[in-house]
This record gives sequence, structure tokens and C-alpha cells, in this order.
Amino acid sequence: MTTTNTVATKEGFAEIKTAKLSTLGFFMALPPVLVIIVFVGLPIFVAFIFSIGYTGGPNRVISIIGQDIFQKNKWWGTPDAYLTVFRDARFLPDLALTLVVTFLSTFVVLVMSLGMALYQRIKGGKIASILSMLSLVPLFVPVVIAAYAIAQFYNGVGFMRTFMAQFGIEFPIITATRNAIVIGTIWTSLPFAILMITSGLQSVPNALIETAQDAGASFMRIVRTILIPLAFVPIVIAGTFTAIGIMGSFTVPLFLGPNQPTMLGVEISNFFTAYNRPQQSIVMAFIIFAAASGIAVLYIWANIRSAKQSGRI
Amino acid sequence: MIKSKRMKSAVVAVMATFAIGSSVPTAPAASTTIELLIAADTNIQTLWETVFIPAFVKEYPQYKVNVTFDRNGLREAQNTAKIIAAKETRRDPGVDLIDGGMAARLAVAGLLYRPSANLMPNLRDVSKVLVKQGNGQIPYRASTVLLAYNSKNVTKAPTTLNELLTWIKANPGKFSYNVPSGGGSGYSFVQTVVDMNLTAAERLAMSVGPDKTIQTKWAKGLETLKDLNKFTYGKNGTYPANNTATLNLLSTGEIDMGTVWSDQFASARAAGTMPANIKVTAIKSPSLTGGPAWLGIPINGGNRTGARLLANFVLSPAMQNAIMGGALKGIPVVKLSKLDPVLAEGFKDVDVTDMRAPYFGANSDDLKSAWSLAVPGK
Repeated sequence: MTTTNTVATKEGFAEIKTAKLSTLGFFMALPPVLVIIVFVGLPIFVAFIFSIGYTGGPNRVISIIGQDIFQKNKWWGTPDAYLTVFRDARFLPDLALTLVVTFLSTFVVLVMSLGMALYQRIKGGKIASILSMLSLVPLFVPVVIAAYAIAQFYNGVGFMRTFMAQFGIEFPIITATRNAIVIGTIWTSLPFAILMITSGLQSVPNALIETAQDAGASFMRIVRTILIPLAFVPIVIAGTFTAIGIMGSFTVPLFLGPNQPTMLGVEISNFFTAYNRPQQSIVMAFIIFAAASGIAVLYIWANIRSAKQSGRI
Repeated sequence: MIKSKRMKSAVVAVMATFAIGSSVPTAPAASTTIELLIAADTNIQTLWETVFIPAFVKEYPQYKVNVTFDRNGLREAQNTAKIIAAKETRRDPGVDLIDGGMAARLAVAGLLYRPSANLMPNLRDVSKVLVKQGNGQIPYRASTVLLAYNSKNVTKAPTTLNELLTWIKANPGKFSYNVPSGGGSGYSFVQTVVDMNLTAAERLAMSVGPDKTIQTKWAKGLETLKDLNKFTYGKNGTYPANNTATLNLLSTGEIDMGTVWSDQFASARAAGTMPANIKVTAIKSPSLTGGPAWLGIPINGGNRTGARLLANFVLSPAMQNAIMGGALKGIPVVKLSKLDPVLAEGFKDVDVTDMRAPYFGANSDDLKSAWSLAVPGK
């Protein structure tokens, strides 16, 4: 800023108006914030103190019902529940599987949706529109139905096996494997990423692409130096949302995955109900929460970057 | 003092409204109304509404039974919390009798009225082990786990667990049981295999209370189960997710043998989804376990007398006959000698007096956990 308002100018009044608007904005934002504090924040707090051994008050009933509950032995609590989870032979393979599936699926989803979006942006036309419309269909299929359908497709008497058997080929049963989880999560995450990245690429001005073409830039160069940098924020948002969604997925690994190791979403549910160890399931939930927060940092960073570029901050 | 008391009751009232919702009257239920909560599937609701309740009201016209139906126990956590909250605030929970899994939770928390044979005479005909195991719950019907096999491919079905294990190894990929945490039929197979290495006294101890010392003897059985990984369906140590998945594998012919619930098998047969060439049999030494369905009377219920009367009525020979003969084809829990001999004939193979009880809750939770550590994917 090179000039400052020291006298009552038009801009000065505008600043006062902005201040009033921001107060109004604050009160408009209050209800959702309060709802989150009361119905999300408070339960998370109660769950957290339970995980470090505060078994009284709101956690009393679950402490009576649950097994292997660790009570606090120092003023701040106890790390025993966390240590137990880390020493459990199931936990690290589960965590590894969760992270591998998350990164692999997110990577494939991003590459595939980028391809789809680029095709629509550069080529356009009827076929591209039809294809991108078709790619959104999974958005309207409930995950549980999709997971069941995928299981039916690849299981012992599924389509792939019966079809291949006609030609004398024995197609492997891929349900109950890690690959089936990856296929399932890609299937369910793809539409959102395509939607996000397509709209990101659509907002890149035609003039820029045409200028680059006139200057003799190759297709790959246009993609690399114009389209991707300009649609960077939507791509990062698509990536973070996809990754967080996959990390916490439950239905797909439950239907399609192996019994053990399994993704943490399923393991948390196993610990909570089947093994009746609520404290340990909460510990796992906090670990997954921490991992997802790591991804969320990326999202915030991208948002700040774009805000800085457009001069909002 | 008065003020604070008022405040207290106001707080309680608010809490009660939150906990109880609008379905329950705020005034204590009149002693002639029995509030029945059914947390089960619709076939159980039908059993109550078309069989038990009409017969009960006919016998005791002074009573009225008010049913709250919670399909598949979806609101089990809320209903449990409601009863616990009502206990804390010394209010009527609005539930006098429960049919559903939440009774087990209340039993663990010590919130069930303990049934005694003096006040409920029909309880005398029920297996003592079952009553003790209930820890306050009242068993009223049962279903057991059976071995289902494809009679086209299996000419001689195994009759003992050892024969079954031999068969599994001789026919790789043709047997499966579901994940124990996913359903009772697979759980039963797991418990039966680990029970091979337990004495009768130890098995009994495991079914009446938690016992970490006896649990250490599971290791050998879990080792046996781990060795089956390369012989079960898929041959890679993965198992079907639930009871229904095992039934599907049987009906499509992917496996020739598997453990199934008696009632689910009967329903699938009746619905036409289970081919006629799939048959069921019971195995011995040890037999597969059976599971009772439980009733519970909350300790703070407003009408415990009525609830006790209704529970006793359900255990009467007439009602037990109805459980056997009706659409449910359930297994009665009272001695067969007390029941209709014609109907009881069909349940002779399922030896109720010798029905092996599943473990006490804490032990079965531990077994599910131990299985997942030792067996799948290893």
C-alpha cells in the first residue's frame, strides 16, 4: 500500500462499512460454529480424556461395559491405552494398509480425473461431455451398493471369473485382497475428483491456451506450465478430500478387503463392538485423526497460497 | 432447599426429555400396562404381536402390553443410555421387559432384575447353566449352529469335530466359516475348535464368567485354526464376513461345507434361496454351540411384577410349543418332555439339554480378538 486514508474519504467510509459487515458475518457464522463445538468438539474432548484414562463422569457407563479399560495413574492420565494399541500385532499392519491404500488410490484418482478433465478442456465436444457425465454416475450410487456390486463382479462366481472361464482362463478371485479395496475406493472417489478438477480447468482462460499454442508450445507443455499451475488449488482440494475420505472409509474395506490386516475404519469398529475395547478403538480414531490432519494442512496451505496470489491476504 | 430440589427435578425433567424422547409418558406407567421393548428383526416382532401377547392378554385380561419396536436394535445405545439415565435420576425408564441384545449390556452393568424360580415357576424347566450364564437375563428361545453340507458332493457327513477337521484337510477350498466377529455361526466353529483342548469343567467356567487363566489354553486350538488357512475357501486365510456370506457360498456351490445358524438355514430354505441338496447335521465331541435369545427386566422398571408374569408366560409349555411350531421354527429352552411330543420330535437331533453354551460375553470378545490376531492372513 502506498497511500493511507488520513482524512474522511469515500474509502474511509467504505472501511467502516466493511467493519460492520464483518460483525454481521461473525454472527452469521456463529450457529454452525456453536453446533460444531457442542456436538462435535465436546464429544471429541470427552473421547480424548477417556483415551488417556479419565473414566469418570460422562465416561463412567462405557468404562463399566468395556473391557481392558486403563484408568489414569498420574495427574494427567495414562499413556497405557496408546501403548497397548501400538504393541498390538494388528495395529501397525492395519496402519500400513490404510496409508498404502490412501496414497495409491488418491494418486490413481488424481491421474485419472486429470486425464478426463484435460480431455474435456482441450478436446471438448459431444463425446467428452457424454464421458464426463457417465463418470459422475458413481456419485449417485450409495457406497454400500457399489461395494456389494464390485464384490459380486470379482468374487468366486462373479462376472470376471465366469466370463474368462468361457475361454478357459482362470481369473483370480480378487475379493478379500488389498487390490479389491483399491479398486473400490477409486470407483467411489473418482466422480468428486473429476467434478472438482474439471471445473478447475474450465476456469483457465482460453486466451492463455491459444496464445501458448500460437507460440508453438506442445500439448504437454501447455498442460505442465499453464493448465496444472492455474488449476493447482482445485487439484489439491480434490486430492485432500479424496485422501481423507479414503483414509476413513469403512464399507469398501469391510466388503472387499481381507479379514486381516484391514483398514483402520473397520478395525476401529471391530475393537469397539466385537472385541468390546472402546478405549483402544478411540485411540485408533485419534491416530487416524492425526493422519488426516496432516493431509488437511496441505489443504489449508493450498488455500492460503491461492488467497495470497489473488491478494486477499 | 425446596428451591434446589425444584431445580433438581427441573434438570431431571429436561434430562429425561432428552433421554426418553416423546414416546414414553412422563407419569409412571400404570401397573396394568407392561412396556415391552423389542430390539430384533421383524420375525420376532411378529412372534410377540401375533402369538405371545394375544395369548397373554387372554390369560391375564387385567394387563395391557404396549410394544415399542426397535428394528434390529438400531437404537440400542440410546435405549441403554435411557435406562441407565433413568436409574441415575431414580425415574421410571418406561421399559419393563426387553427382548434384545441390550439386555446383555444391562446385565453386565448390574441393571437387571434377577429372576428366581420362586417368582417365575417356569424357570425351573430351563437349563440351570443357561440361567446362570444369563447373569440376570432370562433365556426364552434358542437357535443352534449346525454343519451344512452339499449332499451331492459329500456322501458321508462328518459326525465329530475330528472327522470334520479331517474332511476339511482332505477337500481343500471346500469348507469355510465366517469371521467370528461378523456372526455367531463362524464364532461357534472357532469356539468349538478351541474347546477341544479344554476340560468340561473349564468349558463350564468359561461360560459363566471371565477367566483369563483358562484363555491361555486357547493357543493350541488357534494353532489348529491357523493350519486350516490353506484348506479353507480361498486357501489364503480369508474368511466370509458374516453369517449370510457363508450361506451364499453354500447356495452357489462354491463350498461344500460350512457352519450355519439353524434358524437362518430354515428361513433360507423356506424362502427358496437354499437348494434342497444342502443338508444340515449336528456334530459331536464337542458339538457346535447354540445361542439363546434373552429377555431382561430392568431393575428400575415401573412394572416389574407384570414383566415377570409375561416372561414366565413365554416360558410356559404352550408358548414354547408355539415357538417350535410357528413360522420361526425356533428351539424351545424348556425341557422337551414338557412339550408337545409331535413338535418336539423335530428337535430331537438338536439336543437342547446338551446344547453347548457359548462363552460368557467377556471371554467371547477376547476369543474374537485372539482369533483375529492368530488366524486370518497368517
